[in-house]
Amino acid sequence: MAKINLKLLKKEAAKKVKKAQNLKELDKIFKKYLGKQGKLTQILRSLKKLPKEKRKKIGGEANSLKSFLEKIIEEKRKTLEKKSQEELNKKEWMDVTLPGKKIQIGHLHPLTQTKREVENIFQSLGFSVVEGPEIENEWYNFDALNIPKDHPARDMWDTLYLKPQKLLLRTHTSPVQIRYLERNQPPLRIIVPGRVYRREATDASHEINFYQVEGLMVDRKGKVSVANFKAIIEEFVKRFFGQSVQIRLRPSFFPFTEPSFEVDISCVVCSQKGCSTCQGTGWIEAMGAGMVHPNVFKNAGLNPQEWQGFAFGMGMDRLAMMKYKINDIRLFYGGDLRFLNQF
Amino acid sequence: MLFSYKWLESLIEGKIPKPQKLAELLTMHSFEVEEIEKRGQDFVLDIAVLPDRGSDCLSHLGIAREISAILRKKLKELKREKLKTIKGKIKPIKLKIGCPRLVSRYSAIVLENVKIASSPRWLRERLKSLGLRSVNNVVDLTNFIMLETGQPLHAFDYDKIKGQKIIIRLSKKGEKLITLDDKKHTLDKDILVIEDQNRLIDLVGIMGGKNSEVDFKTKNIVLQAGNFDRWTIYQGIKKLNFSTQAANIYIHGFDPNLSILALERIHYLFKKLSQGQIVQIIDVYPKKVKLSKIKLDLKHVENLLGIKISANEIKNILTHLHFNVTRKSKVILEVKVPTWRLDISISEDLIEEIGRISGFQKIPSLFPTVALIPPQKNLNIFWENLNKDILKEAGFSEVYNSSFINKKEAEISNFKLTKLIEVKNPTSLDYQYLRPSLIPKLLINARDNLKNFQDIRIFELGKVFKEKSGSRRNSISSKTLGYRSGGRKDKSLAGEKRMLSGLISGDSFYELKGVIDLFLEKLGIVDVYYDNFQPTPETSEMMIWNLQKCAEIKIGNSEVGFLGEIKSDILRKLKIKEKIIVFDLDFEKLQKLADEQHEYRPISQYPAAIRDIALLVPREVRVADVLNVIERVGGGTIIDVDLFDIYEGEELPMGKKNLAFHLIYQAENKTLSSKEIDAIQKKIIKALEKNREWEVRR
Repeated sequence: MAKINLKLLKKEAAKKVKKAQNLKELDKIFKKYLGKQGKLTQILRSLKKLPKEKRKKIGGEANSLKSFLEKIIEEKRKTLEKKSQEELNKKEWMDVTLPGKKIQIGHLHPLTQTKREVENIFQSLGFSVVEGPEIENEWYNFDALNIPKDHPARDMWDTLYLKPQKLLLRTHTSPVQIRYLERNQPPLRIIVPGRVYRREATDASHEINFYQVEGLMVDRKGKVSVANFKAIIEEFVKRFFGQSVQIRLRPSFFPFTEPSFEVDISCVVCSQKGCSTCQGTGWIEAMGAGMVHPNVFKNAGLNPQEWQGFAFGMGMDRLAMMKYKINDIRLFYGGDLRFLNQF
Repeated sequence: MLFSYKWLESLIEGKIPKPQKLAELLTMHSFEVEEIEKRGQDFVLDIAVLPDRGSDCLSHLGIAREISAILRKKLKELKREKLKTIKGKIKPIKLKIGCPRLVSRYSAIVLENVKIASSPRWLRERLKSLGLRSVNNVVDLTNFIMLETGQPLHAFDYDKIKGQKIIIRLSKKGEKLITLDDKKHTLDKDILVIEDQNRLIDLVGIMGGKNSEVDFKTKNIVLQAGNFDRWTIYQGIKKLNFSTQAANIYIHGFDPNLSILALERIHYLFKKLSQGQIVQIIDVYPKKVKLSKIKLDLKHVENLLGIKISANEIKNILTHLHFNVTRKSKVILEVKVPTWRLDISISEDLIEEIGRISGFQKIPSLFPTVALIPPQKNLNIFWENLNKDILKEAGFSEVYNSSFINKKEAEISNFKLTKLIEVKNPTSLDYQYLRPSLIPKLLINARDNLKNFQDIRIFELGKVFKEKSGSRRNSISSKTLGYRSGGRKDKSLAGEKRMLSGLISGDSFYELKGVIDLFLEKLGIVDVYYDNFQPTPETSEMMIWNLQKCAEIKIGNSEVGFLGEIKSDILRKLKIKEKIIVFDLDFEKLQKLADEQHEYRPISQYPAAIRDIALLVPREVRVADVLNVIERVGGGTIIDVDLFDIYEGEELPMGKKNLAFHLIYQAENKTLSSKEIDAIQKKIIKALEKNREWEVRR
């Protein structure tokens, strides 16, 4: 009997395993034959009641049936698992090329970002960042800077005056040189970022208000020279625009420096191949600079026999325009989020 | 100014580099050459002569001197003819200088029997290449001499000068003159003019009068080479709003010794072109300009430039620039400055000459070797950066606006014009006033951006300007302020301070309030509260707010700003359809209150427990009042109160609202038992219900 039973069992179970559609069904089949109460388990359990001879024979057959069933169930399981994973994959497929959900974030103004970068570079070179008022008087804005009254040189700075006092909107950040020298004993190194004003019609490269950054380094006579200026400013330019950028100095005139020079940088747009930004020259005017004029020291209450130094000034807007390749300064002051959100 | 390459070449011994190369040399050693243009056989260079060199370089001679120094080549001597008079038939000119202080030199020659004709070809072409029209030999030569030497000359027709009188004086208001170019001028006072017997004949230094012009019938001429006060000429062209190339030279001032040289030069050229005899020489030169001397310390040259240049090289450079150099000792040179170098007065000026002619590019880059002084932290900038970062993280974008507002913008925002700082000379009415607030422009930003975006969140941190009270009375004299005692006052001269303002579009008062709370918390400001605003008649500028929906932001006892909705009529005038909620913070106050010392508070090891309270109160009761009670009674065991629902609806009695709070209980040193919590909760309910109209719902 038992023999027939086993054969039948094998046939029946194999058929069922073959038919199983999913893992759940396969589990049921496993339980039915190989579970604690499973048919084959029961047969194996009943063996001990049989005489030794019979037990040995049937036991052997039952055990081989057990491993057979385990094997085919395992094989089936693998097939079904693979199949179900494929189905799942199909269901979970998504288009990764769909655009991500827009996150609304804020943006800092490009001039703020430029200002921070400039400040960081100069701070790391030992310069403190100081500021001054935007409303100035003629003394600080002109006279103390060796720009005498009744002199056409003042025309270099188109000035906005205020009613009713004899006050004006500073035309450069240079007044802060005097203000700082009056209250601080050299040696010193400062930069002065800030908003300045010019009485000019606005166009793509001119704004009535814009930003400058001024620099001043003063030390004992013989301690700070044009050569030192070159090193500091080269370092700044390389860190701000990139290592490949070169500088050159050429003669210029500012009443508050002597000697004075203009600093050009090699064109960051075309790498000196010649383009519209540098008007084909390969160089862009970047800043005015020079060695502090003895009269400036005098006017700030310092002895020019004792001290010397360099000063420079550049347009922050221009730096930002070069860096981000912006061609119209007015974009900075228009509040247009289509522009600002790009930064 | 435009310069002819060929002309420059003709002034220098030997060859000079090709135009492109010459332009590069000039740019690197003297002045920027802005453009080179080929014109016929010649090249024209547009050279931006620096303002301090207008006195000697607005002439071909001046630029040629620069080239000769750069190339270390010799300059050719200009051919001249000594001035000598012969006895003439015409009456002499009687000169009267009514304002001697303004005429440092007046030189002129009177010539008899000149032959006016067209200019020879070489002269016409020289002028033509530089854009000057040929008139006749006399006029053309005066122009030629001006372009060559930098001394402007003017020729009068002798016979048109009535009474043979030349009177130099300042104009009176309303006097009239027609200049050579047929322009009619009605003069303001104090413009330098020449009058003959009874009429004006010259705008001195600017342009001659039509009435004394040299034409083809002219027989006798007066050739004038004057040196006049530059500031007077400068003001003259400003008043007239009219200028010429001659005037442009005059406003820079130049060497009075040039006048005779120029007359000798024109005399030389003149003799060839048009016979004419000198019958009178006028030369009034009361205060002769002499060579000045400067001691130059070679050590100082090296100190300033950071490169050692040999004494010989220095001498060589300066000599080519026509300085006279004598070696006084091993380290001291005595340098005599030519009279035309008005820009040179101290040794640093000479060092600039040495540096630029030798070449700034030769100076090496050397890092300073000085004591290491760490930079000071700038707290203003620290706080600005921090604040901007917080707002950016909260989704706000930063804008920069103009510092100016126009009348209309001021009026829309209800600012009293009299309280604003007005610009004396704005370029347009858009820049008439300094902004008293950042809000007007922010509203315009909102309007413009709403065309492209639905949800606007922007802010600006910038200066606003208001008249300082009493500043009119103690108006600042710039001198006293700068020189001694006053110079130490580093305070702003008028009322300027930093504000931090921003806005959000839509009906989102509480959202913006949440942003402000977060923002202040990040600054370490804790005792902030919001209060209804009580307007007074003086606070007209607050009239931008919808008073029902605005709050003063207070920290401790001080008011630091405002938060609220903009009044609908302002929005209507600006054509903004959405609601706009604005915050306006006094950044100077805020910075003082902010605390960088952000201290970590340990996380309690003991569990928190939450109890709710639902409170029915009249509609007009403020949440702050309820919170005050809860926090007062709850003390330290309530670490947070969270308003999670406000309900007003039909089920509630008329005029009432329901407020629902989570009260979060937690102690730092123990687990609160539910008995303890219930006791405090009971106390709070009792305290709340002390108010008869408040009812805690159970």
